Amino acid sequence: MKNYPLWKIFIVFVLLSLGIIFAIPSLLYKEDTGSWYLDNRLNLGLDLQGGSYLLLEVQTDVLIEEEFENFSDTIRIIAREKRVKINNIEKIDGSLKVRFEDSDKINDIRKEFLQNYRSVKFNITNNIVSITIDELYKKTIQDSAIKQSLEIVRKRIDETGTKEPLIQRSGRDRILLQLPGVKDPERIKDLLGKTAKLNFHMVDDDDTKSLSLNIAPFGRMIVSDIDNEEIKYLLEKKSRVGGENLIDANASFDPTEGHAVSFRFDTTGAQKFGKATSENIGKRFAVVLDNVVITAPVINSAITGGSGIITGNFTSQEATDLAVLLRAGALPAPLEIVEERSVGPGLGADSIAAGQIASIIGMILVCFFMILIYGSFGFIANISLIANLFIIIALLGTIGATLTLPGIAGIVLTIGMAVDANVLIFERIKEENTKNKNIYETIKKGFDKALSTILDANITTLIASLLLFVFGSGPIKGFSITLSLGVIASMFTALMLTNLLVHIYISFNSKKEINL
Amino acid sequence: MFGLNKLIPIDSDYRFLNYRKKFYIVSSIAIFLSLSLLFFKGLNLGIDFKGGTLIEVSTKNTDIAELRDILSPNFNEVSLQEFGDENTIIIRLQNENNQESIETVNKVKQLINDKVEEFRRSEFVGPTISSELLWKGFQAVSFALLAILIYIWLRFEWQFGFGAVVALTHDVFFTLGLLSLLNIEFSLSTIAAVLTIAGYSINDTVVIFDRVRENLRKYKKLELLDLFNMSINNTLSRTVMTSITTLLALLSLYLFGGEVIKPFALTMIIGVLIGTYSSVFIAVPTLLVFKFRPQDEDEN
Repeated sequence: MKNYPLWKIFIVFVLLSLGIIFAIPSLLYKEDTGSWYLDNRLNLGLDLQGGSYLLLEVQTDVLIEEEFENFSDTIRIIAREKRVKINNIEKIDGSLKVRFEDSDKINDIRKEFLQNYRSVKFNITNNIVSITIDELYKKTIQDSAIKQSLEIVRKRIDETGTKEPLIQRSGRDRILLQLPGVKDPERIKDLLGKTAKLNFHMVDDDDTKSLSLNIAPFGRMIVSDIDNEEIKYLLEKKSRVGGENLIDANASFDPTEGHAVSFRFDTTGAQKFGKATSENIGKRFAVVLDNVVITAPVINSAITGGSGIITGNFTSQEATDLAVLLRAGALPAPLEIVEERSVGPGLGADSIAAGQIASIIGMILVCFFMILIYGSFGFIANISLIANLFIIIALLGTIGATLTLPGIAGIVLTIGMAVDANVLIFERIKEENTKNKNIYETIKKGFDKALSTILDANITTLIASLLLFVFGSGPIKGFSITLSLGVIASMFTALMLTNLLVHIYISFNSKKEINL
Repeated sequence: MFGLNKLIPIDSDYRFLNYRKKFYIVSSIAIFLSLSLLFFKGLNLGIDFKGGTLIEVSTKNTDIAELRDILSPNFNEVSLQEFGDENTIIIRLQNENNQESIETVNKVKQLINDKVEEFRRSEFVGPTISSELLWKGFQAVSFALLAILIYIWLRFEWQFGFGAVVALTHDVFFTLGLLSLLNIEFSLSTIAAVLTIAGYSINDTVVIFDRVRENLRKYKKLELLDLFNMSINNTLSRTVMTSITTLLALLSLYLFGGEVIKPFALTMIIGVLIGTYSSVFIAVPTLLVFKFRPQDEDEN
């Protein structure tokens, strides 16, 4: 012991103390306390604390379609102004083909069209025009849609009162949500599943012929009623005022109509709505939400105050949700849930309990077995193993890692695999013991010879674990983190701590012999 | 202390490699059967890779048949299964598309709400995601094998890399074959298990290879066969010890870690056994294919 380098003792002492100090918050505390030290805890993953993980896909294809609709409307308008007849207009494989009667004014049309849409490709062959957009154009549309969607999703989630939600973009057109502690994921999914595009359109009750034929003339559209798909309305395509002009919406109760949503427009909205209602007294206007008509009341008088209520056959929850949606604003494109993992608090608690029991029993089995086989040296290995666990937990806590169920499995597995480095060393010492007389030389050789094997063996495990981290998702990443940290910590404890303990053991061993 | 450390004597001298042909035959048959199983029966893909909806409920003393009677008429493809105890039931449904899933879960919840104590878990994986996850899992396993091969190649001679990868591939297919045979659910965590098995098996192999390399330098005149046998025996007690401690931990995980983790633990147990076997009986004998004496890598 006399010749044992002090710096090694120092390093072991420091690292062990740090391990214990920083493992304490994770082991003893469950709630945030506000102190930076005690809050350096392991976070529990959604699978352990309960909550929902959702992956949403922004349906940007719809936007591209809409963009082509716009092109088609614009070209019709321009052609009408220029008095050019359009024979045929159709969308084929990502391009809009427009066939004009003749090609006289086609260049004028092109010029005017490109003033509206600068980066669109407008190719002319004789009297046929084909309009296409490139990848960059598409990407711009998608990017802005996803940015807006993120914003709206965040607002909607905030309205539900979820604490500490994680909302982020994932990949090209997806949004990832982690919602800890959510008890009713179905409601959240309902809220996110609605685009909530609200518009006020005038109803055309004169043109009964188009409605009965179910063909909308240019500038009109046919929309069904929310409660009964058989009931159709012929509406002006262009809305008079839309949800983007709303500044507030609240669930309210109307004595005659039941649950309702009251709303208020901003100044522009109020003006538009005032103008539309004052010009159309006696006619009907329709409140259209996500392409269905919620209600279509007759305008009795001009509504100039900029506020009103929407009635329909709402339940209290529906009215509240609609108000939430209107306040948060419309999504630019529909969202589709492509993956969901929700865990209730009961299962989470059960998993933690089971994980703890499995860890403790695994630990006892391994420790018992080590003592059975290696005696005093087994005892030393067990101290290293326990130190190893403290270091893993301390590391997980300080880097703010999330403990998942597979992560617990990683810890249990580490208990089994971490003694490997010790075993390698002990086996080497056992071999050297038959060759050398000097006990210190035996130990030194044992450690030295085991070193390269330990490195090689552990690096290969680290490689596999690293790739799991790169390719794995959520909980699996948790597994790879605990496994990697376990492997790294086990190298330290075996090479430094076990080494020190073996030397201490020998210096107290009066017979100066190794019983392995 | 208990003297059990002499269980495997230091100077053990088992002639493992003399029986290598038998082990080759055994392994070839095992791999052939595994591949046939994978090809004809396939893996029991969980919703991670197949897509669909899974709902775990704990019931108020309602038995599985009763729930089945309620749900079956309402859905095309619905399967129910007890999960651990008779009051915990897993309901699996197939959906045609993403939109349907919300409605499906809502409908299930409405239908069985009064029979259920708690909705413990609901998972939905859409068709695009499931194929992405499968592709990612495949990539992870392939890249892991490749990276390990490169590492072994850099640290050892390339022949060792070959031996290691033969053993690893053997382990992966053998394990997958057993997963198929035992109908263990193949999910994301099973992929994690397979990768960990790869890491474990290679760990085992590397320890023996390390000793082979050392002995090749030390005993330049020794027959390769004897030298390989000796190397295996040198490291035998370590091989056995580490397998046992790992298996003990995994056994505890399997028995006490809860239902969700069971397939993972079972896969790992199978893999550790196969990995240990392959390191001794496949990886080392493969080295005999090469009549090599590596040149000294360094002057020491």
